[in-house]
Amino acid sequence: MSDNAIEICNLTKTYGKHRGVDRISLTVKEGDIFGFLGPNGAGKSTTIRSMLGMLRFEAGEIRLLGMDVKKQQNEILRQVGYMPSEAMFYPSMKVKDVIAFAARARKLDCRKEADRICGLLEVDREKKIEELSLGNRKKVSIVCAMQHRPRLLILDEPTSGLDPLMQEAFFRLIQEYNRQGTTCFLSSHVLSEVKRYCKNAAMIKEGKLVRADSVENLAKSDLRLVKVRINGQEQKFTHAGNMKELIRRLDGMELEDVLIEEPSLEELFMHYYETEEKV
Amino acid sequence: MTLLKHEIGQNRKALLIWTLCIGFACFGCILLFESLEESMEQMAGAYAQMGAFSTALGLDRLSVSTMNGFYAAEVALMFAIGGAMFAAMTGAAIVAKEEEGHTSEFLNTLPLGRGYIIGWKYAAMALLIFLFNLICVIWILAGFAAAGEMPDRKAFTLYHGAQMLMQLEVGSICFLASAFFKRKQIGAALGFSVLLYMMDLMCRIVPDIEGLKYVTPYYFSNATDIFSAGSVDGKMLAVSVCVTAFCACMAAFVYRKRDLAA
Repeated sequence: MSDNAIEICNLTKTYGKHRGVDRISLTVKEGDIFGFLGPNGAGKSTTIRSMLGMLRFEAGEIRLLGMDVKKQQNEILRQVGYMPSEAMFYPSMKVKDVIAFAARARKLDCRKEADRICGLLEVDREKKIEELSLGNRKKVSIVCAMQHRPRLLILDEPTSGLDPLMQEAFFRLIQEYNRQGTTCFLSSHVLSEVKRYCKNAAMIKEGKLVRADSVENLAKSDLRLVKVRINGQEQKFTHAGNMKELIRRLDGMELEDVLIEEPSLEELFMHYYETEEKV
Repeated sequence: MTLLKHEIGQNRKALLIWTLCIGFACFGCILLFESLEESMEQMAGAYAQMGAFSTALGLDRLSVSTMNGFYAAEVALMFAIGGAMFAAMTGAAIVAKEEEGHTSEFLNTLPLGRGYIIGWKYAAMALLIFLFNLICVIWILAGFAAAGEMPDRKAFTLYHGAQMLMQLEVGSICFLASAFFKRKQIGAALGFSVLLYMMDLMCRIVPDIEGLKYVTPYYFSNATDIFSAGSVDGKMLAVSVCVTAFCACMAAFVYRKRDLAA
Protein backbone atom coordinates (compact mmCIF):
# COMPACT_ATOMS: atom_id res chain seq x y z
CA MET A 1 0.00 0.00 0.00
CA SER A 2 1.25 3.47 -0.92
CA ASP A 3 2.09 5.76 1.98
CA ASN A 4 0.82 8.74 0.03
CA ALA A 5 -2.52 10.14 1.12
CA ILE A 6 -2.82 12.23 -2.02
CA GLU A 7 -1.32 11.52 -5.43
CA ILE A 8 -2.19 13.90 -8.24
CA CYS A 9 -0.61 13.20 -11.59
CA ASN A 10 -0.87 15.63 -14.53
CA LEU A 11 -4.28 16.91 -13.53
CA THR A 12 -5.76 19.06 -16.29
CA LYS A 13 -9.12 20.73 -16.09
CA THR A 14 -10.51 23.46 -18.33
CA TYR A 15 -13.86 25.25 -18.28
CA GLY A 16 -14.61 25.56 -21.97
CA LYS A 17 -12.04 28.06 -23.20
CA HIS A 18 -11.10 29.10 -19.69
CA ARG A 19 -8.15 27.74 -17.79
CA GLY A 20 -8.70 25.65 -14.73
CA VAL A 21 -5.53 23.80 -13.87
CA ASP A 22 -2.79 22.62 -16.18
CA ARG A 23 -0.85 19.39 -15.63
CA ILE A 24 -0.69 19.62 -11.85
CA SER A 25 1.28 16.88 -10.14
CA LEU A 26 1.45 16.64 -6.39
CA THR A 27 1.93 14.09 -3.64
CA VAL A 28 1.09 14.38 0.03
CA LYS A 29 2.39 11.77 2.47
CA GLU A 30 0.09 10.17 5.03
CA GLY A 31 0.27 12.01 8.33
CA ASP A 32 1.32 15.30 6.77
CA ILE A 33 -0.20 18.74 7.22
CA PHE A 34 0.12 20.12 3.73
CA GLY A 35 -0.44 23.73 2.74
CA PHE A 36 -1.75 24.60 -0.70
CA LEU A 37 -1.00 28.22 -1.40
CA GLY A 38 -2.09 30.47 -4.20
CA PRO A 39 -3.89 33.70 -5.01
CA ASN A 40 -7.60 33.85 -5.82
CA GLY A 41 -8.37 32.16 -9.13
CA ALA A 42 -5.07 30.27 -9.19
CA GLY A 43 -6.78 26.86 -9.33
CA LYS A 44 -6.81 25.79 -5.66
CA SER A 45 -10.55 25.10 -5.52
CA THR A 46 -10.51 23.47 -8.98
CA THR A 47 -7.84 21.07 -7.73
CA ILE A 48 -9.73 20.34 -4.51
CA ARG A 49 -13.08 19.90 -6.25
CA SER A 50 -11.47 17.56 -8.77
CA MET A 51 -10.08 15.56 -5.85
CA LEU A 52 -13.57 15.21 -4.40
CA GLY A 53 -15.23 14.19 -7.67
CA MET A 54 -17.26 17.38 -8.04
CA LEU A 55 -15.49 18.20 -11.29
CA ARG A 56 -14.92 15.80 -14.18
CA PHE A 57 -11.35 16.51 -15.25
CA GLU A 58 -10.14 15.88 -18.80
CA ALA A 59 -6.72 14.46 -18.15
CA GLY A 60 -4.59 13.12 -15.35
CA GLU A 61 -5.13 10.87 -12.40
CA ILE A 62 -5.99 11.52 -8.79
CA ARG A 63 -5.59 8.92 -6.06
CA LEU A 64 -6.67 9.61 -2.50
CA LEU A 65 -5.74 7.12 0.22
CA GLY A 66 -4.57 4.79 -2.54
CA MET A 67 -7.93 4.86 -4.38
CA ASP A 68 -8.82 6.30 -7.76
CA VAL A 69 -11.30 9.19 -7.44
CA LYS A 70 -12.97 8.30 -10.71
CA LYS A 71 -13.62 4.70 -9.74
CA GLN A 72 -13.91 4.67 -5.95
CA GLN A 73 -15.39 8.04 -5.14
CA ASN A 74 -17.79 6.84 -2.44
CA GLU A 75 -15.16 4.73 -0.73
CA ILE A 76 -12.87 7.75 -0.66
CA LEU A 77 -15.55 10.14 0.61
CA ARG A 78 -16.28 7.76 3.47
CA GLN A 79 -12.75 8.36 4.77
CA VAL A 80 -12.46 12.03 3.90
CA GLY A 81 -13.66 15.08 5.78
CA TYR A 82 -14.14 18.18 3.65
CA MET A 83 -14.61 21.74 4.71
CA PRO A 84 -15.57 24.03 1.82
CA SER A 85 -14.59 27.69 1.78
CA GLU A 86 -18.18 28.91 1.66
CA ALA A 87 -19.70 26.57 4.29
CA MET A 88 -23.30 26.68 3.08
CA PHE A 89 -26.06 24.47 4.47
CA TYR A 90 -29.82 24.28 4.20
CA PRO A 91 -31.01 27.58 5.73
CA SER A 92 -34.20 26.26 7.33
CA MET A 93 -32.45 23.39 9.14
CA LYS A 94 -31.21 23.53 12.70
CA VAL A 95 -27.49 23.08 13.30
CA LYS A 96 -28.04 19.80 15.16
CA ASP A 97 -30.08 18.45 12.23
CA VAL A 98 -27.36 19.32 9.70
CA ILE A 99 -24.74 17.58 11.84
CA ALA A 100 -27.01 14.54 12.28
CA PHE A 101 -27.79 14.46 8.55
CA ALA A 102 -24.06 14.39 7.70
CA ALA A 103 -23.53 11.52 10.18
CA ARG A 104 -26.56 9.58 8.89
CA ALA A 105 -25.30 9.92 5.32
CA ARG A 106 -22.15 8.15 6.52
CA LYS A 107 -24.23 5.55 8.34
CA LEU A 108 -22.28 6.33 11.51
CA ASP A 109 -23.16 7.33 15.03
CA CYS A 110 -20.87 10.32 15.53
CA ARG A 111 -22.72 11.92 18.43
CA LYS A 112 -19.88 11.62 20.92
CA GLU A 113 -17.27 13.26 18.71
CA ALA A 114 -19.78 15.82 17.41
CA ASP A 115 -20.64 16.80 21.01
CA ARG A 116 -16.97 17.17 21.85
CA ILE A 117 -16.15 19.38 18.82
CA CYS A 118 -19.31 21.44 19.33
CA GLY A 119 -18.19 22.02 22.92
CA LEU A 120 -14.68 23.04 21.90
CA LEU A 121 -15.90 25.43 19.22
CA GLU A 122 -18.90 26.69 21.22
CA VAL A 123 -21.41 25.72 18.55
CA ASP A 124 -25.06 26.54 19.35
CA ARG A 125 -26.86 23.49 17.99
CA GLU A 126 -30.37 24.79 18.53
CA LYS A 127 -29.98 27.69 16.10
CA LYS A 128 -31.16 27.58 12.52
CA ILE A 129 -28.52 27.83 9.80
CA GLU A 130 -30.12 31.02 8.45
CA GLU A 131 -29.43 32.70 11.81
CA LEU A 132 -25.70 31.99 11.69
CA SER A 133 -22.84 34.25 10.61
CA LEU A 134 -20.16 32.98 8.22
CA GLY A 135 -17.88 32.21 11.18
CA ASN A 136 -20.55 30.14 12.91
CA ARG A 137 -21.37 28.31 9.67
CA LYS A 138 -17.66 27.54 9.39
CA LYS A 139 -17.80 25.95 12.85
CA VAL A 140 -20.70 23.74 11.74
CA SER A 141 -18.65 22.83 8.70
CA ILE A 142 -15.73 21.85 10.93
CA VAL A 143 -18.00 19.55 12.95
CA CYS A 144 -19.41 17.94 9.78
CA ALA A 145 -15.89 17.44 8.39
CA MET A 146 -14.40 15.97 11.56
CA GLN A 147 -17.13 14.15 13.49
CA HIS A 148 -16.47 10.84 11.71
CA ARG A 149 -12.72 11.00 12.44
CA PRO A 150 -11.57 10.94 8.80
CA ARG A 151 -8.23 9.65 7.58
CA LEU A 152 -7.87 12.65 5.29
CA LEU A 153 -9.06 16.20 5.94
CA ILE A 154 -9.39 18.52 2.97
CA LEU A 155 -9.89 22.10 4.05
CA ASP A 156 -10.53 24.92 1.60
CA GLU A 157 -9.59 28.25 3.18
CA PRO A 158 -10.68 26.99 6.58
CA THR A 159 -10.01 30.02 8.72
CA SER A 160 -11.73 32.73 6.68
CA GLY A 161 -14.50 34.12 8.84
CA LEU A 162 -13.22 32.62 12.08
CA ASP A 163 -12.09 34.98 14.84
CA PRO A 164 -8.47 34.60 16.10
CA LEU A 165 -9.53 32.60 19.17
CA MET A 166 -11.51 30.17 17.05
CA GLN A 167 -8.64 29.94 14.57
CA GLU A 168 -6.43 28.84 17.46
CA ALA A 169 -9.02 26.29 18.62
CA PHE A 170 -9.39 25.07 15.05
CA PHE A 171 -5.67 24.50 14.57
CA ARG A 172 -5.44 22.78 17.95
CA LEU A 173 -8.06 20.36 16.64
CA ILE A 174 -6.16 19.90 13.38
CA GLN A 175 -2.97 19.13 15.27
CA GLU A 176 -4.80 16.71 17.57
CA TYR A 177 -6.28 14.83 14.60
CA ASN A 178 -2.92 14.90 12.87
CA ARG A 179 -1.25 13.35 15.92
CA GLN A 180 -3.79 10.55 15.66
CA GLY A 181 -2.79 9.94 12.04
CA THR A 182 -5.11 12.17 10.01
CA THR A 183 -3.55 13.77 6.97
CA CYS A 184 -4.54 17.42 6.45
CA PHE A 185 -4.55 19.22 3.14
CA LEU A 186 -5.38 22.86 3.56
CA SER A 187 -5.68 25.49 0.91
CA SER A 188 -5.03 29.01 1.99
CA HIS A 189 -3.71 32.36 1.02
CA VAL A 190 -2.78 33.13 4.59
CA LEU A 191 0.91 32.41 4.58
CA SER A 192 1.39 32.73 8.33
CA GLU A 193 -0.90 29.78 9.08
CA VAL A 194 0.84 27.60 6.50
CA LYS A 195 4.21 28.59 7.91
CA ARG A 196 3.09 27.87 11.47
CA TYR A 197 1.16 24.64 11.06
CA CYS A 198 2.20 22.92 7.81
CA LYS A 199 5.15 20.64 7.28
CA ASN A 200 5.04 20.78 3.49
CA ALA A 201 3.44 23.14 1.01
CA ALA A 202 2.87 23.78 -2.66
CA MET A 203 2.29 27.01 -4.50
CA ILE A 204 -0.05 27.30 -7.43
CA LYS A 205 -0.32 30.20 -9.83
CA GLU A 206 -2.43 30.60 -12.96
CA GLY A 207 -3.36 26.95 -12.92
CA LYS A 208 0.21 25.68 -12.71
CA LEU A 209 2.13 24.34 -9.78
CA VAL A 210 5.15 26.59 -9.24
CA ARG A 211 6.78 24.99 -6.19
CA ALA A 212 6.15 22.04 -3.91
CA ASP A 213 8.52 21.39 -1.04
CA SER A 214 8.86 21.38 2.71
CA VAL A 215 8.00 24.72 4.27
CA GLU A 216 11.60 24.86 5.50
CA ASN A 217 13.04 24.32 2.00
CA LEU A 218 10.60 26.72 0.43
CA ALA A 219 12.03 29.42 2.63
CA LYS A 220 15.52 28.38 1.51
CA SER A 221 14.99 29.04 -2.17
CA ASP A 222 17.57 30.32 -4.65
CA LEU A 223 15.53 33.48 -4.82
CA ARG A 224 17.45 36.47 -3.52
CA LEU A 225 16.18 39.78 -2.37
CA VAL A 226 18.52 42.44 -3.73
CA LYS A 227 18.59 45.93 -2.23
CA VAL A 228 20.67 48.51 -4.06
CA ARG A 229 21.37 52.23 -3.54
CA ILE A 230 21.82 54.25 -6.70
CA ASN A 231 22.19 58.06 -6.56
CA GLY A 232 21.05 58.00 -2.93
CA GLN A 233 17.84 56.15 -3.76
CA GLU A 234 17.10 52.65 -2.51
CA GLN A 235 15.68 50.10 -4.90
CA LYS A 236 14.61 46.53 -4.25
CA PHE A 237 14.21 43.56 -6.58
CA THR A 238 14.23 39.80 -6.49
CA HIS A 239 16.51 37.55 -8.47
CA ALA A 240 16.08 33.83 -9.00
CA GLY A 241 18.65 31.43 -10.38
CA ASN A 242 22.19 31.92 -11.60
CA MET A 243 24.37 34.22 -9.45
CA LYS A 244 26.63 35.14 -12.42
CA GLU A 245 23.60 36.63 -14.12
CA LEU A 246 22.88 38.71 -11.03
CA ILE A 247 26.46 39.95 -10.95
CA ARG A 248 26.29 40.87 -14.63
CA ARG A 249 23.04 42.71 -13.92
CA LEU A 250 24.59 44.62 -11.03
CA ASP A 251 27.73 45.35 -13.03
CA GLY A 252 25.87 47.75 -15.31
CA MET A 253 24.52 49.81 -12.42
CA GLU A 254 26.02 52.87 -10.72
CA LEU A 255 25.96 51.21 -7.31
CA GLU A 256 26.63 53.05 -4.07
CA ASP A 257 25.64 50.07 -1.92
CA VAL A 258 24.27 46.58 -2.40
CA LEU A 259 22.71 44.05 -0.03
CA ILE A 260 21.82 40.53 -1.20
CA GLU A 261 19.80 38.47 1.24
CA GLU A 262 17.57 35.41 1.41
CA PRO A 263 13.91 36.40 1.22
CA SER A 264 11.47 35.58 3.98
CA LEU A 265 8.72 33.08 3.15
CA GLU A 266 6.35 36.04 2.81
CA GLU A 267 8.58 37.67 0.21
CA LEU A 268 8.97 34.36 -1.57
CA PHE A 269 5.22 33.96 -1.62
CA MET A 270 4.74 37.45 -2.99
CA HIS A 271 7.33 36.75 -5.66
CA TYR A 272 5.25 33.86 -6.93
CA TYR A 273 2.06 35.89 -6.60
CA GLU A 274 3.23 38.69 -8.82
CA THR A 275 2.52 38.22 -12.49
CA GLU A 276 5.55 40.19 -13.60
CA GLU A 277 8.70 40.72 -11.71
CA LYS A 278 9.01 44.35 -10.73
CA VAL A 279 12.42 45.97 -10.42
CA MET B 1 -33.76 6.79 2.57
CA THR B 2 -31.83 9.53 4.44
CA LEU B 3 -32.08 11.81 1.44
CA LEU B 4 -35.76 10.99 0.85
CA LYS B 5 -36.65 12.01 4.42
CA HIS B 6 -34.48 15.10 4.07
CA GLU B 7 -36.19 16.17 0.83
CA ILE B 8 -39.68 15.59 2.20
CA GLY B 9 -38.74 17.68 5.23
CA GLN B 10 -37.35 20.43 3.00
CA ASN B 11 -40.51 20.51 0.85
CA ARG B 12 -42.98 20.11 3.71
CA LYS B 13 -44.05 23.75 3.74
CA ALA B 14 -44.56 24.00 -0.02
CA LEU B 15 -46.59 20.78 0.02
CA LEU B 16 -48.77 22.08 2.83
CA ILE B 17 -49.41 25.42 1.10
CA TRP B 18 -50.19 23.89 -2.30
CA THR B 19 -52.45 21.15 -0.94
CA LEU B 20 -54.24 23.69 1.22
CA CYS B 21 -54.75 26.08 -1.72
CA ILE B 22 -55.74 23.55 -4.38
CA GLY B 23 -57.50 21.08 -2.07
CA PHE B 24 -59.48 23.74 -0.27
CA ALA B 25 -60.38 25.50 -3.55
CA CYS B 26 -61.71 22.19 -4.95
CA PHE B 27 -63.55 21.50 -1.69
CA GLY B 28 -65.18 24.94 -1.77
CA CYS B 29 -66.05 24.67 -5.45
CA ILE B 30 -67.82 21.34 -4.92
CA LEU B 31 -69.83 22.87 -2.10
CA LEU B 32 -70.83 25.71 -4.43
CA PHE B 33 -72.59 23.24 -6.73
CA GLU B 34 -75.60 22.92 -4.47
CA SER B 35 -76.30 26.65 -4.48
CA LEU B 36 -75.53 26.95 -8.20
CA GLU B 37 -77.50 23.85 -9.26
CA GLU B 38 -80.45 25.76 -10.70
CA SER B 39 -78.42 28.30 -12.62
CA MET B 40 -76.12 25.49 -13.81
CA GLU B 41 -79.05 23.90 -15.63
CA GLN B 42 -79.49 27.10 -17.64
CA MET B 43 -75.74 27.45 -18.14
CA ALA B 44 -75.47 23.86 -19.36
CA GLY B 45 -77.69 24.71 -22.31
CA ALA B 46 -75.68 27.82 -23.10
CA TYR B 47 -72.34 25.98 -22.76
CA ALA B 48 -73.50 23.29 -25.18
CA GLN B 49 -74.15 25.98 -27.84
CA MET B 50 -70.61 27.37 -27.81
CA GLY B 51 -69.43 25.25 -30.74
CA ALA B 52 -65.70 24.59 -30.80
CA PHE B 53 -65.23 25.84 -27.28
CA SER B 54 -67.88 23.44 -26.02
CA THR B 55 -65.91 20.66 -27.71
CA ALA B 56 -62.63 21.93 -26.34
CA LEU B 57 -63.96 22.01 -22.80
CA GLY B 58 -65.90 18.76 -23.23
CA LEU B 59 -69.18 20.47 -22.50
CA ASP B 60 -70.83 18.84 -25.51
CA ARG B 61 -70.47 15.47 -23.78
CA LEU B 62 -71.10 16.33 -20.15
CA SER B 63 -73.67 18.53 -18.54
CA VAL B 64 -72.48 20.95 -15.87
CA SER B 65 -75.90 20.62 -14.27
CA THR B 66 -74.90 17.19 -12.87
CA MET B 67 -72.37 16.76 -10.07
CA ASN B 68 -70.11 14.58 -12.25
CA GLY B 69 -70.26 17.07 -15.11
CA PHE B 70 -69.72 20.05 -12.82
CA TYR B 71 -66.74 18.34 -11.21
CA ALA B 72 -65.18 17.32 -14.55
CA ALA B 73 -65.72 20.67 -16.28
CA GLU B 74 -65.09 23.13 -13.46
CA VAL B 75 -63.37 21.65 -10.42
CA ALA B 76 -61.05 19.21 -12.19
CA LEU B 77 -59.66 22.00 -14.38
CA MET B 78 -58.48 23.85 -11.29
CA PHE B 79 -56.99 20.66 -9.88
CA ALA B 80 -55.26 19.79 -13.18
CA ILE B 81 -53.59 23.19 -13.62
CA GLY B 82 -52.72 23.49 -9.92
CA GLY B 83 -51.36 19.95 -9.79
CA ALA B 84 -49.22 20.40 -12.91
CA MET B 85 -47.85 23.67 -11.52
CA PHE B 86 -46.93 22.00 -8.23
CA ALA B 87 -45.25 19.11 -10.05
CA ALA B 88 -43.38 21.45 -12.41
CA MET B 89 -42.18 23.61 -9.55
CA THR B 90 -41.07 20.64 -7.45
CA GLY B 91 -39.26 18.99 -10.37
CA ALA B 92 -37.54 22.20 -11.45
CA ALA B 93 -36.22 22.96 -7.97
CA ILE B 94 -35.29 19.64 -6.43
CA VAL B 95 -31.88 19.20 -8.08
CA ALA B 96 -30.90 22.73 -9.12
CA LYS B 97 -31.60 24.17 -5.66
CA GLU B 98 -28.40 22.55 -4.40
CA GLU B 99 -26.17 24.49 -6.76
CA GLU B 100 -28.21 27.68 -6.46
CA GLY B 101 -28.13 27.51 -2.67
CA HIS B 102 -24.43 26.47 -2.67
CA THR B 103 -25.30 23.29 -0.75
CA SER B 104 -24.16 21.07 -3.61
CA GLU B 105 -20.63 20.87 -2.20
CA PHE B 106 -21.94 19.73 1.20
CA LEU B 107 -24.27 17.11 -0.26
CA ASN B 108 -21.96 15.78 -2.95
CA THR B 109 -18.98 15.35 -0.66
CA LEU B 110 -20.94 13.02 1.61
CA PRO B 111 -20.39 9.38 0.65
CA LEU B 112 -23.71 9.03 -1.14
CA GLY B 113 -22.78 9.03 -4.81
CA ARG B 114 -24.42 10.98 -7.60
CA GLY B 115 -26.55 8.02 -8.70
CA TYR B 116 -27.95 7.72 -5.17
CA ILE B 117 -28.57 11.47 -4.93
CA ILE B 118 -30.40 11.79 -8.25
CA GLY B 119 -32.32 8.55 -7.65
CA TRP B 120 -33.60 9.55 -4.21
CA LYS B 121 -34.32 13.08 -5.35
CA TYR B 122 -36.50 11.65 -8.11
CA ALA B 123 -38.19 9.36 -5.58
CA ALA B 124 -38.78 12.37 -3.32
CA MET B 125 -40.37 14.30 -6.20
CA ALA B 126 -42.63 11.33 -7.02
CA LEU B 127 -43.58 10.95 -3.36
CA LEU B 128 -44.36 14.67 -3.05
CA ILE B 129 -46.61 14.42 -6.12
CA PHE B 130 -48.29 11.36 -4.62
CA LEU B 131 -48.82 13.13 -1.27
CA PHE B 132 -50.16 16.20 -3.07
CA ASN B 133 -52.69 14.03 -4.90
CA LEU B 134 -53.60 12.04 -1.81
CA ILE B 135 -54.28 15.12 0.32
CA CYS B 136 -56.18 16.87 -2.47
CA VAL B 137 -58.30 13.78 -3.13
CA ILE B 138 -59.15 13.68 0.59
CA TRP B 139 -60.25 17.34 0.39
CA ILE B 140 -62.26 16.61 -2.77
CA LEU B 141 -63.96 13.53 -1.31
CA ALA B 142 -64.72 15.52 1.81
CA GLY B 143 -66.36 18.09 -0.45
CA PHE B 144 -68.44 15.42 -2.19
CA ALA B 145 -69.41 13.95 1.19
CA ALA B 146 -70.42 17.37 2.47
CA ALA B 147 -72.43 18.01 -0.70
CA GLY B 148 -74.19 14.67 -0.16
CA GLU B 149 -73.36 13.23 -3.59
CA MET B 150 -70.39 11.05 -4.46
CA PRO B 151 -68.78 11.01 -7.94
CA ASP B 152 -68.76 8.07 -10.36
CA ARG B 153 -66.17 5.84 -8.65
CA LYS B 154 -64.55 4.38 -11.76
CA ALA B 155 -64.27 7.67 -13.62
CA PHE B 156 -63.01 9.44 -10.50
CA THR B 157 -60.33 6.79 -9.88
CA LEU B 158 -59.26 6.77 -13.52
CA TYR B 159 -59.16 10.55 -13.66
CA HIS B 160 -57.03 10.94 -10.54
CA GLY B 161 -54.74 8.10 -11.62
CA ALA B 162 -54.25 9.79 -15.00
CA GLN B 163 -53.70 13.14 -13.29
CA MET B 164 -50.97 11.69 -11.12
CA LEU B 165 -49.27 10.26 -14.17
CA MET B 166 -49.64 13.59 -15.97
CA GLN B 167 -48.09 15.43 -13.03
CA LEU B 168 -45.29 12.88 -12.87
CA GLU B 169 -44.58 13.48 -16.57
CA VAL B 170 -44.55 17.27 -16.15
CA GLY B 171 -42.43 16.89 -13.01
CA SER B 172 -40.01 14.55 -14.79
CA ILE B 173 -39.51 16.95 -17.70
CA CYS B 174 -38.76 19.75 -15.23
CA PHE B 175 -36.57 17.37 -13.19
CA LEU B 176 -34.49 16.76 -16.32
CA ALA B 177 -34.14 20.51 -16.79
CA SER B 178 -33.17 20.79 -13.13
CA ALA B 179 -30.36 18.27 -13.66
CA PHE B 180 -28.95 20.50 -16.42
CA PHE B 181 -29.20 23.93 -14.80
CA LYS B 182 -27.33 25.53 -11.94
CA ARG B 183 -30.32 27.69 -11.02
CA LYS B 184 -33.92 26.82 -10.26
CA GLN B 185 -36.05 27.67 -13.28
CA ILE B 186 -39.33 28.03 -11.35
CA GLY B 187 -40.83 30.72 -13.59
CA ALA B 188 -40.08 28.75 -16.73
CA ALA B 189 -41.47 25.57 -15.14
CA LEU B 190 -44.75 27.25 -14.18
CA GLY B 191 -44.97 28.77 -17.65
CA PHE B 192 -44.28 25.36 -19.18
CA SER B 193 -47.14 23.75 -17.25
CA VAL B 194 -49.55 26.47 -18.42
CA LEU B 195 -48.24 26.13 -22.00
CA LEU B 196 -49.06 22.42 -21.93
CA TYR B 197 -52.60 23.27 -20.85
CA MET B 198 -52.91 25.79 -23.69
CA MET B 199 -51.68 23.13 -26.13
CA ASP B 200 -54.45 20.83 -24.95
CA LEU B 201 -57.05 23.54 -25.39
CA MET B 202 -55.77 24.57 -28.84
CA CYS B 203 -55.42 21.09 -30.29
CA ARG B 204 -59.03 20.40 -29.38
CA ILE B 205 -60.18 23.51 -31.29
CA VAL B 206 -57.82 23.59 -34.29
CA PRO B 207 -57.82 20.31 -36.26
CA ASP B 208 -54.49 21.17 -37.99
CA ILE B 209 -52.60 20.91 -34.70
CA GLU B 210 -54.36 17.82 -33.45
CA GLY B 211 -50.99 16.07 -33.24
CA LEU B 212 -50.22 18.16 -30.15
CA LYS B 213 -52.40 15.77 -28.19
CA TYR B 214 -49.39 13.43 -28.11
CA VAL B 215 -47.23 16.24 -26.76
CA THR B 216 -49.37 17.58 -23.95
CA PRO B 217 -50.16 15.20 -21.08
CA TYR B 218 -53.26 17.27 -20.28
CA TYR B 219 -54.94 15.57 -23.24
CA PHE B 220 -55.02 12.00 -21.97
CA SER B 221 -55.80 13.12 -18.42
CA ASN B 222 -58.65 15.42 -19.41
CA ALA B 223 -61.51 15.08 -16.92
CA THR B 224 -64.41 15.58 -19.33
CA ASP B 225 -62.96 12.90 -21.68
CA ILE B 226 -62.51 10.42 -18.83
CA PHE B 227 -65.85 11.13 -17.15
CA SER B 228 -67.74 10.89 -20.47
CA ALA B 229 -65.89 7.82 -21.86
CA GLY B 230 -65.20 6.08 -18.58
CA SER B 231 -61.70 5.15 -19.84
CA VAL B 232 -58.23 6.55 -20.56
CA ASP B 233 -56.57 6.37 -23.99
CA GLY B 234 -54.01 3.57 -23.63
CA LYS B 235 -51.79 4.77 -26.49
CA MET B 236 -51.35 8.20 -25.00
CA LEU B 237 -50.85 6.69 -21.57
CA ALA B 238 -47.97 4.65 -23.02
CA VAL B 239 -46.45 7.79 -24.58
CA SER B 240 -46.64 9.50 -21.19
CA VAL B 241 -44.95 6.57 -19.42
CA CYS B 242 -42.18 6.54 -22.05
CA VAL B 243 -41.58 10.31 -21.77
CA THR B 244 -41.50 10.06 -17.96
CA ALA B 245 -39.04 7.14 -18.00
CA PHE B 246 -36.85 8.83 -20.62
CA CYS B 247 -36.67 12.08 -18.64
CA ALA B 248 -35.82 10.26 -15.40
CA CYS B 249 -33.04 8.19 -17.06
CA MET B 250 -31.69 11.19 -18.99
CA ALA B 251 -31.60 13.30 -15.80
CA ALA B 252 -29.56 10.59 -14.07
CA PHE B 253 -27.19 10.38 -17.04
CA VAL B 254 -26.68 14.15 -17.22
CA TYR B 255 -26.25 14.61 -13.46
CA ARG B 256 -23.68 11.83 -13.18
CA LYS B 257 -21.56 13.24 -16.00
CA ARG B 258 -21.50 16.96 -15.47
CA ASP B 259 -19.41 19.29 -13.35
CA LEU B 260 -21.12 20.47 -10.20
CA ALA B 261 -20.84 24.04 -9.02
CA ALA B 262 -20.17 24.75 -5.36
